[in-house]
Amino acid sequence: MVLALEQVGVAFGGFRALTDVTLSVAPGQVVGLIGPNGAGKTTCVNVLTGFQRPTHGKVILQGREVSGLAAHEMRRAGVARTFQAGRLFGGLDVLDNLACTGVGLGLRRSVAEHEASALLNWMGMAALESRAAAGLPYTDERRVAIARALMGKPRFLLLDEPAAGMSEAEAADLAALIGRIAAELGVGCLLIEHNVGLVLSVCTQVVVLDGGRIIEKGDREAILGSRAVREAYLGTYAEAA
Amino acid sequence: MPSQHQLRRRSAATTPLLLGLLLLTFVLVALGLGDRAIARMAAETLIRVTMVVGFWIFVGNSGVVSFGHAAFGCIGAYVSAWLTLNPAMKAALLPGLPEGLAAADWPVLPAAIAGGLAAAVIALLTGAAILRLSGIAASIATFAFLAMVNTIWANWTPVTGGTSSVVGLDRYITPWVALGWAFAAILVAALHAHSASGLALRATREDEVAAAASGIDRYRHRLLAYTLSGFFCGIGGALMGHFIGVINPDGFYLGLTFLMLAMLVIGGVGSLSGAVVGVLALSIAVEGLVRLEKGIAVGATTFALPPGSQEIILAVAMILILIFRPAGLMAGREVMLPARWVARRGT
Ligand SMILES: Nc1ncnc2c1ncn2[C@@H]1O[C@H](COP(=O)(O)OP(=O)(O)OP(=O)(O)O)[C@@H](O)[C@H]1O
Ligand SMILES: [Mg+2]
Repeated sequence: MVLALEQVGVAFGGFRALTDVTLSVAPGQVVGLIGPNGAGKTTCVNVLTGFQRPTHGKVILQGREVSGLAAHEMRRAGVARTFQAGRLFGGLDVLDNLACTGVGLGLRRSVAEHEASALLNWMGMAALESRAAAGLPYTDERRVAIARALMGKPRFLLLDEPAAGMSEAEAADLAALIGRIAAELGVGCLLIEHNVGLVLSVCTQVVVLDGGRIIEKGDREAILGSRAVREAYLGTYAEAA
Repeated sequence: MPSQHQLRRRSAATTPLLLGLLLLTFVLVALGLGDRAIARMAAETLIRVTMVVGFWIFVGNSGVVSFGHAAFGCIGAYVSAWLTLNPAMKAALLPGLPEGLAAADWPVLPAAIAGGLAAAVIALLTGAAILRLSGIAASIATFAFLAMVNTIWANWTPVTGGTSSVVGLDRYITPWVALGWAFAAILVAALHAHSASGLALRATREDEVAAAASGIDRYRHRLLAYTLSGFFCGIGGALMGHFIGVINPDGFYLGLTFLMLAMLVIGGVGSLSGAVVGVLALSIAVEGLVRLEKGIAVGATTFALPPGSQEIILAVAMILILIFRPAGLMAGREVMLPARWVARRGT
């Protein structure tokens, strides 16, 4: 039972941000989604989470077409996400940030707080519970955003550049966390990341986008061996390095 | 051991009680001064607390400014008048009233509640149309609603009396009656703010997009708050009608809208305490200004402000607050007992 895009196209006016994109994520699997800036990665996540209606094609969840669902309905159907920009509820403390998802999913507030507490514990962030979300250091902000998305045990978690701005060590911790989320919770993850090393270390399957099209798809070896990828992406990455 | 978060939640539970005590003290002092005008000012202030706290339930939690809440006051006031006015008088003044209302001779309390409920139903119906809009568009739509209600009330003469006032309402509002309703509004506002729905609504205020990604249906929570909010503004309108004894559609129009907004902005829209403090601060200031307008005799000379300067000074105060203390007097904080007191009591 998977979350999938089937031949999805998205056009903004005359501009085609995605063309004929087909990809899928299974429970417990970590799929990487890489590609240069403007490739359409965030747009893919927006389509998968109900924030963007596809112009063509379908979004499929557990065999059912869900292309028309609103964002909050997709979350309730078990598809969670984080944002490139963090987007915590700045005026609330960390526990309430998580509890918001709990109440959004229909829990009573006390039950939501209880679950939030347990989840922060599981992620080793119990100490942050009462801190204001607005003042958190960058790395903590990212991890709280992941925790908030994990409330209510979603079946799928889409992470939009969760390691941006992190040090190597912090990124490695994050990779370990993503591995645990997939293995221990059975959540299917889609990981968007510019840090290709991180993606290759945790993902069993990688999809490469360029100019709104999938240019390569496969496991670590397939990606590393791909000429198209080297030219479109790793090339620019290597030049920059 | 309770966490910081839990202690804060427990402290927050003391807010409505402390605000209630603050208002009680206000009434006792006002009555203790033994001046009839001041006792009236106290009752009027507490009616405004009821309305502004009702207003805050929606605006404070959703972050959407409404210009339409004075219309709920209008609905509450007229419904209570229709239900309580002497039937003979209604036959003369409001010949177009449907039979049930024309014959009604209700006691004041159920009539006030009916006024609040009628306002809540209208809030539910209009909110269902308006609240899908995002921020500024929703605000403009509430303004259109206000104008619509005012126009209907001013022209539906056989039922509303049109622009001529409806007179003869039972003037039963004492400071104590007003205090009871103000406290009820505060209690409900606090319960709502602490509820799952209140939290969800604040999440949409903080970040609409992230709230949707948290599974929160913004529309549903907004609609609930709008309806509750309409109820207490309706109650406030009913109280105001029975306080003055005379109602008129223009008494629930731009002037009241401005006053409610000014009180909320000055107290601070970020907290329930801000709503209450804003009303108290402005009402006391206005009372002072009214006295200055009438003139104070110092020796042989009388100092007096020109009439109308009250409104101008209020507007200036609002602008100054917006410039120098944009979060208002309370700046989003609540009055509450310190966490350590509550912790000691809790253990
Ligand atoms: N709402 C929109 N309206 C118009 N164009 C858009 C919109 N959203 C995205 N785009 C365009 O679509 C293209 C893909 O954007 P997208 O955000 O998906 O890229 P991305 O792969 O996530 O890039 P980055 O790595 O910079 O985050 C970009 O050219 C972007 O400018
Ligand atoms: Mg992006």
